[in-house]
Amino acid sequence: MKPKVIGALILAAAAAAAGLFMLFTESTQVTSLTGYLGGEKIGLFEDEEIAGYIRKNYHLEFDYSRAGSLDMVTADLSGRDYLFPSSQTALEYYNEVHGSGRAEEIVFNTPIVLYSHKVVADALIQQGIVTQTDGVYYADMEKLTQLILEEKQWSDIGLTQLYGSFCVDTTDPARSNSGNMFAALLANSLNGGRTVDESTIDDVLPQLKEIFSRTGYMETSSSDLFNQFLRMGVGAKPIIAGYESQLLEYAAEDPEGYSKIKDDVVVIYPSPTVWSTHIYIALDDAGKSGIDALTDPEVQRLAWEKHGFRTSGYSAGSGGSAVSGIPDTITTVMNMPNYSVMKRIIDELS
Amino acid sequence: MKIIRAVLAAVLAAGITAAACGCSALKGITGGETIRILSGSENEALEQILLDCERSSGVNIEMTYKGSVDIMQELKNGAPDYDAVWTASSLWISLGDETHIVKHDESVCTTPVIFGIKQSVAEELGFTDREVSVKDILAAIEDEKLTFCMTSATQSNSGASAYIGSLYALLGKSSALTHDDLADPELREQIKTLLSGVERSSGSSGWLEDMFLAGDYDAMVNYECLIIDADKQLTKAGREPLYAVYPYDGLSIADSPLGYLDHGDDKKEEAFLKVQEYLLSDEAQTAIEATGRRISLNGVSEQNKSVFNKEWGIDTTRILSPITMPAADVLMNALNLWQSSFRKPSLTVYCLDFSGSMRGEGNDQLVSAMAQVLLQENAEANLLQAGEGDVNIVVTFDNSVMNVYNCESADPDSLMALYQSVCEEQIGGGTDIYVAAQYAVEMIEDYYDTSDYTAAVILMTDGASEIHSKADFEDFYHESDSDIPVFSIMFGSAERDQLDGIARLTNAKVFDGRTDLVAAFRSVKGYN
Repeated sequence: MKPKVIGALILAAAAAAAGLFMLFTESTQVTSLTGYLGGEKIGLFEDEEIAGYIRKNYHLEFDYSRAGSLDMVTADLSGRDYLFPSSQTALEYYNEVHGSGRAEEIVFNTPIVLYSHKVVADALIQQGIVTQTDGVYYADMEKLTQLILEEKQWSDIGLTQLYGSFCVDTTDPARSNSGNMFAALLANSLNGGRTVDESTIDDVLPQLKEIFSRTGYMETSSSDLFNQFLRMGVGAKPIIAGYESQLLEYAAEDPEGYSKIKDDVVVIYPSPTVWSTHIYIALDDAGKSGIDALTDPEVQRLAWEKHGFRTSGYSAGSGGSAVSGIPDTITTVMNMPNYSVMKRIIDELS
Repeated sequence: MKIIRAVLAAVLAAGITAAACGCSALKGITGGETIRILSGSENEALEQILLDCERSSGVNIEMTYKGSVDIMQELKNGAPDYDAVWTASSLWISLGDETHIVKHDESVCTTPVIFGIKQSVAEELGFTDREVSVKDILAAIEDEKLTFCMTSATQSNSGASAYIGSLYALLGKSSALTHDDLADPELREQIKTLLSGVERSSGSSGWLEDMFLAGDYDAMVNYECLIIDADKQLTKAGREPLYAVYPYDGLSIADSPLGYLDHGDDKKEEAFLKVQEYLLSDEAQTAIEATGRRISLNGVSEQNKSVFNKEWGIDTTRILSPITMPAADVLMNALNLWQSSFRKPSLTVYCLDFSGSMRGEGNDQLVSAMAQVLLQENAEANLLQAGEGDVNIVVTFDNSVMNVYNCESADPDSLMALYQSVCEEQIGGGTDIYVAAQYAVEMIEDYYDTSDYTAAVILMTDGASEIHSKADFEDFYHESDSDIPVFSIMFGSAERDQLDGIARLTNAKVFDGRTDLVAAFRSVKGYN
């Protein structure tokens, strides 16, 4: 009997050691994922609380290079584990160029909004283009589009202190998502408020192209555009298109800075608007493990409270933001054109 | 802190800049991580704050100053030798960052590009009590009531901004500039007229201010913060200050973004973030504001109110509506057109040392340097190509003038022939830079109408000069009332004091070509 017992004990000890070893490696070895990230999500990826949580519970670390949602599809992908653009269009573009990824998942949502200044919003209310309901500003997209198309001067709408013609600054629609989605909104507006499709796209393209031909140099990252909006004043950037999450994040990250601008900066919801869906595309098995981490309820909660991304479980109704004029739910939303139509738009504006 | 000037190592003192120059290692701390920042020259004024930053963050800072276009090119090449980039405007990062290595970029401060016009001249033109447009300025130039100094649009952000702003204003346009606009004959004529008012040029905004202060000119286009700085110095010296004019139809704002260059080194990234955090801290921001840079949309802080002096026309309450920059391809087209057609033609006399010591290695380097500036294919890559009406002259010398080769054409073949002459030149004997410099200045004054050109002498020498003709040159220069700058390129065992003296006399600048002669020639060409 004795030898057998010893044998079993040795086995048990070996098993225990192996178990310990596994435990040891699991708790210290962190896999680093590298990929391309839309600029608007950098704050979230740099958030030590979120990164720490993911490191501890998922043994993952996200390293990133910033790239526009569409730019990243054609960037050098060797050695990259994921792409994290901000739209369905980017996913479809990816699928067209590379075939489908390893896996993908919608992780966050945020509507496209306009950021402007009190004085501009007031002038637009006077013009009957913007209305205020329950403390939330809404812009009639068709009227706004007409204003752009007609090349009205700022002085025509009573803003004599601003030089130049009425415009909404966006990122480059051919390279970055927020500009791309705003272009889609304009296209829909030009189409009488209906989502453009294959049968209507040809009617709106010339006007859309005309609008963007006047904009000149455009930023390729929504975070750069938003930072310039905050930094450069009403004369430089009277109105920009961006993500709702951007101001919410800024207010959460820099309450003092936000308190200085909150009486001046306004959020205007295009009516209707479109959802930006932040979709994570895993390029390999390692990248795939990122999906579980990002959709973890705790990460989703922090994403809303600290970075302003609406998720399936959290949005304005759940509280947690200091910014006023944010609706609990986004009700007037229209669909983005499908990918083949978006591709026409991108090609035309490239 | 280590400072590397535009042309590697130190660009040497030019007259009054002596205090700020020649310093290669101003170390605030020892040990610790080093962050190598590729920076625009306008940040030189922030060196004291960077020293405080080193002390506070424990990170060494190494500054290399280059023009905006050079920085853009460097980014396109992946900027392997730098950890951070700090340009005048985010435009150059967006245009250059093709490989997506820039991260964490944030604006450190802002400053608009404006006209600083001598108070009395501004008053006479009626610019002090009304809104001024670029067209008003153009009218003053056409009436020969105003000339001004500005940096080269292809080398410096302030020059590029002012030039592009002027194009918009002349077109009466606020929507984006197009290729068709640039082909408009009327615009071409108008912009040439406007630029005919350029009295002196410069390759960098910082040196433009230095040169302005050392001379006597009507006006300059520069950053508001440098106009403020100039005004401080002018009033201190009992001289007339510049009045700040904000042309409402052609304004642009430099937003001074500082970004990290991600080459995959986490320690560098951490160190960079410390540096950035310090520069964005209240303490540093207030110090930055004290230099005349704007840090907030909510007006100037109480303690810095006096910096933004209303008497100089400085106005921080005015809403600035900057122009929208054109799309990248239109911008590059516009910059090329500046270089090849629109700017005032340049008249450049190269005085090249062919003394005995240049034999061998020295001569080889000289020939490859001249290949960079004269062979148009090379020059074009750096937006330094010859343009309509340009004149290039080569004067070779030892202890006397040896030969003169003249090229009054921008035709690539003619310039190639000029280059051939340099290649075939024989080496002579001793060295006398004063004889050569005087010959060059005299030739320009005697044979050309200097108001038709931005004229400059570029003197390259590799050894100590004989000095018996030094006094003659100085007397001649004073008596002829010339304002032709004699830029020097120091090479081999050239005497720095001698070149500094010429720079002071002619309101020019010395470039150090000892480590990289080719880069020095490229750089000096950017000044003319």
